[in-house]
Amino acid sequence: MGTRRSHVLVLLLVLGMVIVSGIVIASKETKLGLDLQGGLELVYQGQPTGTATEVSGEDIDESISIIEERINKLGVSEPEVARLGTENITVSLPGVTDANRAAEQVGTTAQLYFYDWEPNLIGPEKAIGSKPGQPSENALKESEKRWLAAGRNPKKPEQGRLVFAGAYPTAYEAALLAAEQEPNENCENCSVAKPRYYLFEKAAPHELVAGPELAEKDLYVSPTGEKLPKDGIVVEVPAGTVLVSELPVDEAGKVIEGSDPGWYALKDDPALSGHDITNPEQSYENGTNEPIVTFSFTDSGRSAFQEVTRAIAQRGQAQAIGPASAEEAAARSGHFAVVLDNEVKTRPIIDYSQNPDGIDGRQGAQISGGFNDIDEAQELATTLQIGALPINLKLISQTQVSATLGSEALHQGTKAAVIGFALVILFLLLYYRFLGLIASIALGAYAIIFFALIDLIPITLTLPGIAGLVLTIGVAADSNIVIFERIKEEVRAGRSMSSAIAAGYKRGISTIIDANVVTLLTAFILFVLASSGVKGFAFTLGVGTIVSLLTAVVFTQALLGSMSRSRLLRSASALGAGGEGKRWHFDFMGASRWFFSISGVILIVGGLALATKQLNFGIDFESGTRIKVALEQSTDEEAVRDALDEAGIKGEEIQQVENDPNFGDNVFQIQSHQLEPGEVREAQAALESEFGIAEDGFDSTSVGPTFGQQVADSALKALIFSLLVICGYVALRFDPKFAVPVLIAIFHDILITAGVYSLTGKEVSSGTVAAFLTILGYSIYDTIIVFDRIRENVPRMPRAAFSQIVNRSMSEVLTRSLATSFSTLLGVTSLLVFGGATLQDFAFAMLVGIASGTYSSIFIASPVLTAWKEREPGFIRRRQRIAEVEGGRVPAYADEIEMAKLRRDDEIEAGAAAQLDDAVAEAAPGAVATAERPEDSGNGTGSRENGDTDAAAAASAERRQRNAERRARRQARRKHGRGR
Amino acid sequence: MALLVFFMMGIAFWHFTVFLPDRFWQGIVGAFIGAVLGSIVFGMIVQEASGKDLGDTDLSTALIAIPGTAIGLAIVYFIGARSEERVG
Repeated sequence: MGTRRSHVLVLLLVLGMVIVSGIVIASKETKLGLDLQGGLELVYQGQPTGTATEVSGEDIDESISIIEERINKLGVSEPEVARLGTENITVSLPGVTDANRAAEQVGTTAQLYFYDWEPNLIGPEKAIGSKPGQPSENALKESEKRWLAAGRNPKKPEQGRLVFAGAYPTAYEAALLAAEQEPNENCENCSVAKPRYYLFEKAAPHELVAGPELAEKDLYVSPTGEKLPKDGIVVEVPAGTVLVSELPVDEAGKVIEGSDPGWYALKDDPALSGHDITNPEQSYENGTNEPIVTFSFTDSGRSAFQEVTRAIAQRGQAQAIGPASAEEAAARSGHFAVVLDNEVKTRPIIDYSQNPDGIDGRQGAQISGGFNDIDEAQELATTLQIGALPINLKLISQTQVSATLGSEALHQGTKAAVIGFALVILFLLLYYRFLGLIASIALGAYAIIFFALIDLIPITLTLPGIAGLVLTIGVAADSNIVIFERIKEEVRAGRSMSSAIAAGYKRGISTIIDANVVTLLTAFILFVLASSGVKGFAFTLGVGTIVSLLTAVVFTQALLGSMSRSRLLRSASALGAGGEGKRWHFDFMGASRWFFSISGVILIVGGLALATKQLNFGIDFESGTRIKVALEQSTDEEAVRDALDEAGIKGEEIQQVENDPNFGDNVFQIQSHQLEPGEVREAQAALESEFGIAEDGFDSTSVGPTFGQQVADSALKALIFSLLVICGYVALRFDPKFAVPVLIAIFHDILITAGVYSLTGKEVSSGTVAAFLTILGYSIYDTIIVFDRIRENVPRMPRAAFSQIVNRSMSEVLTRSLATSFSTLLGVTSLLVFGGATLQDFAFAMLVGIASGTYSSIFIASPVLTAWKEREPGFIRRRQRIAEVEGGRVPAYADEIEMAKLRRDDEIEAGAAAQLDDAVAEAAPGAVATAERPEDSGNGTGSRENGDTDAAAAASAERRQRNAERRARRQARRKHGRGR
Repeated sequence: MALLVFFMMGIAFWHFTVFLPDRFWQGIVGAFIGAVLGSIVFGMIVQEASGKDLGDTDLSTALIAIPGTAIGLAIVYFIGARSEERVG
């Protein structure tokens, strides 16, 4: 197939893609993230339960599907439940504003167990409770004393019922009893296979402060993120024993809400679990019309139920002496307890007079009596329908975004992206003229195809995703710039337009691939390791980079190739390639020590700032709650503090936000330790009642200490992996020695950015870190462009010193480097000026990263490479020879005349040496060994532009090496002779 | 955070080694390793000895790194100079 024909085919293909993309954009709605449409995001950490000692991938997957079912029942449209890392689950609920209710319904663990009650009671409880209807008098009296001592009146009917069942008045006493039990290490039937820890107040009555926790250290961090004093009493309940509570009930069997529960220590040997039941439904008790929950059993559950109820009935029968009335039989019958999340929901009797052989599970069973209203019964039925979660879920982060702020953020992000796009196009048109027009068409095609992909995949578009989109516009423009600069060079070198275009693409493509692979690798690492918000950014960046390769390389090549013989491309000036072009003639390597000094001073200042001011880590890392609220009535910070204090929320920092673009001056930002969803709601209610909250004017983010630590860990992992992968790639594609300067330049960039953040006091969030990590990958673009040219010039300049090669390479690519950085900076500046607060955070990190990256690739990475390579024997010899010819100095740039002199000298020497070789070979065949060519060590692995020149250069270098060795041998012989 | 400060100061002072004769073991890269290791190891020893947590930083944290960097650089320089002399 001819080249022209293939160009036409590519053009048609891209045209087709653009048309299809246009249809997709018009017909499909873009899926917006919570930050752009408002809603609630919850992040849960999975913790082991039951017999498991760790959270498995299957547990997380099962939990995700259960949560999805629960959310469907909430009626939320387009919810997203996804795994985050190895043990976290993120739940996005667009449009949901009641964080408390959502968190309760989504994350309730619903660990349901059924216990044969009496045999599992232990200690003094057993003395009372294990003989229903006929408790031990002494034990009962002891228990009543205990209740009185705890300040609870055992004579009150509701308390009396708990006393009669053997309950303890406080958790502390029950926990002490539980702690005395022998651990059952290999407990296979337990609800929890690991010991659990409880923290009690040191002073009597030893109120329960925290627990149960699987790790003792977790006791000292409250669920709200506050550090708790370590002066309490820790009680360890061993595996095989479980602590459960039971709320008192009235005479009708209804739970008395708000009253203190009674506590039991039980042998953890449940007869059935939530897995053994099916079809739970809310229903009504015949006759009383009380709400109940009915359910059926699985096959194994049915026989287990029959067995346990039979055992209970037989025990009741054994206790009955002689015939008993129905009331007496009921009073002496044993209990079957339904325990949900360590709380006794109901404890019905198994009446031996009615069910002497237990209850046949085929008819199912029911939970009754414990419900105050129909909603409660319905909720339990729903929870049981969906199933218990296989793991405990701990809420570690919660973000609530108001719809108004979301849509404003979308507006700002779109505006920034459009303006950034327009600025890049304007730059391309002004600087590259006709080529700029081609690049602009390609960028247009890129934008349409990329946006269609966002709708089609679909990618949830988030604010960080928009930042990624703007960055990929820069990436796409960069690819064009790299190629266009090549084409201009070829045109200036006198090539015809069509061959200049072909050569430009051929030579530019390896640079573009190297640079884009590094960006893709960084995006991939971020996607795998980063938190959910940053994932969107990484995914957008990755997809955008791939699409940009298609449009910026394949499409523009086809477009230019098909036009190469047209009138439009006859004039070199139409391409901006008229005249000689700007060629830098600056001694980059000679001046590098001064640039090193500048960097050194900046780093010292940064180091001092970091030591004295540290970094301002946001709540992503430090944990806490941040609320942004727009109030209807004018007020001040003190009044807001008072309102929050009254609601019991203390220790907060309150700041009035001036000129908020959405809500004006009456906006307050409140930052405190982590608040639970209920507390956030209380804060919202307090502010609402005191000052009134503007419509959609409430935003909150809560991050727990665990999540903060995870974000920090994942950022560190992403950084280390990015460094390793990028260095590995550079070492493989270039030369291992090229990887070290890249690494040093990256350290330089990271530290300078850290210094800038410390000096300015700007907040460091997970988004900042992600933006910066991406920029690291992207800023290596510059380094790769310079190194790529050095690699290319090494074989072209076989007699030049390495510093001369680098100077030449830098002078050739500096314009290109500056143009690529400038085009990216245009987009980033647009984000900084027009984007909202979140995008500005991203943009600031990008700005610092790009500026530092461009600087370090030119003034740090290349000089380090030069200094290191110049120590190689081959380059030492080159320097010595140049210095001999140049009167003791090595010029900044390789002089053509001097190089020619060196070449002529080589050839003369080589001719003489060849004659000598022939003579020696004739005298002793095989005596001349092939010597290693030291210059090869500097050649790299890159493609060679001029094969003939290279071959000649290599042969010449080999001859020179042989001559040098012969001279050395002759000198050695002479020296040896003198010595003798 | 103290480790980051040590690292930063080590790299900062490494930049000025371009004014010294290139006799470091492995040249400028060896000097880099020496400066960074010197500042971190010496800084950590002093920080531990003074009973400070590695998370705590103040002006002295940055200053501690300076002698550490100098020691690291001196060691690498000494090794480089000796191996040069040995080669002749």
